[in-house]
Amino acid sequence: MSTRGGLLFFAAAAVAAVTAPLAAQQSTPERAAPRTAAGKPDLSGIWVATGAILLFEGEEAFAAARAADAAAGRPPGNSNETPPYNAEAEAKRQYFLSRRGIDDPMARCLLTGIPRINFRPLPLEIVQLPDRVIMLYEIHHAFRIIPTDGRPPPEDAEPSYLGESSGHWEGDTFVVEVTSLNDKSWINGVGTIHTEDMKVTERYTRDSFETIRYEATMVDPAVFTRPFTIRETFRLRPGERIREYECIESNEDIARFERLLQQGELPTEKAP
Amino acid sequence: MRRLGFFLVLGFGIFVARLAAAHHSFAAVFDGDKPVTMKGQVTDVEWTNPHFHFSIDVKDPAGAVTRWRFEGYPPNMLVRQGWRRDETLMPGATVTVEGWASRDDATLGAVRWVTFADGKKLAGGPPAGTGGR
Repeated sequence: MSTRGGLLFFAAAAVAAVTAPLAAQQSTPERAAPRTAAGKPDLSGIWVATGAILLFEGEEAFAAARAADAAAGRPPGNSNETPPYNAEAEAKRQYFLSRRGIDDPMARCLLTGIPRINFRPLPLEIVQLPDRVIMLYEIHHAFRIIPTDGRPPPEDAEPSYLGESSGHWEGDTFVVEVTSLNDKSWINGVGTIHTEDMKVTERYTRDSFETIRYEATMVDPAVFTRPFTIRETFRLRPGERIREYECIESNEDIARFERLLQQGELPTEKAP
Repeated sequence: MRRLGFFLVLGFGIFVARLAAAHHSFAAVFDGDKPVTMKGQVTDVEWTNPHFHFSIDVKDPAGAVTRWRFEGYPPNMLVRQGWRRDETLMPGATVTVEGWASRDDATLGAVRWVTFADGKKLAGGPPAGTGGR
């Protein structure tokens, strides 16, 4: 073999070594989602948002998960995208950013609202029953009981962190309408405020054994210039279990934030 | 090849910027632009929520000792990363801690990795900016 031929050979071998695992991954068909006796996809299982794979398994597994999503035509996650705020709401967001996020309700161990709770890097167990779907979140020991029997939303619902959810099926997609949310939670990042009028429509589609396509569309005309949609893929976590997470136990942030304010490190005037 | 390297670096930069955009309490307390690596002897460990804490005594070349305190994952995440409360990080052990310094407290840090005397390395906290609560 000439030197040039040898180089070409090694170059081809290197390309094959790099691309073979990818090709194998792409050509392996994804296992179909299981179905319930009623014929609907069964969402039951323990799941984490793909963003959390970075913490659970590291950068390589996270990149592989994103690549698998792209190969399967699943949209990329955009849970960090800033909502389309009008000028007034954006000024409020900038105020919270200028305070370094110390107003984050989650940093005070308060229940994380919808949809943010679905992107936290801790697992969620879904239990699908014939007349309701139960969601058990490791973060804050939160739970949601989502009726699917067509009952109307409760008449005495007051605004709350997780609001009232009611579910129905559109084909193979589980659709959840969330109302009665309070205005104390943030949507995703620092200062992503909303009002009590925000309506969230969530769509859960178990499009393979290992994945749920999640989509949350938020409508809140007082602060958004248009509806805002966040997408993420949830991944099945075989062998995982929901563990305890008692956030308030030793949360030093509350005292730190008070200290920062007392020391004049951060703006203290009221939000615009 | 040089171009490819450039784009890989650029891509990584965007990736890190996206993580930083997700920050909440991390950025309130810690500075992702102030990476630290500290080697020292463990003095105490608090296995608590929403973060575990531990302290190490770090000796400078002149022999002066500074006690650094680090904050990291809650126990549920530590266990998932292979930690055990009564085995992994014990007072008296010498460890190397990689993480980021606090903005306001000269001897407080956020831990990302802990390397133990036998060379084992475990994640002790999330990457800068993700919060990880």
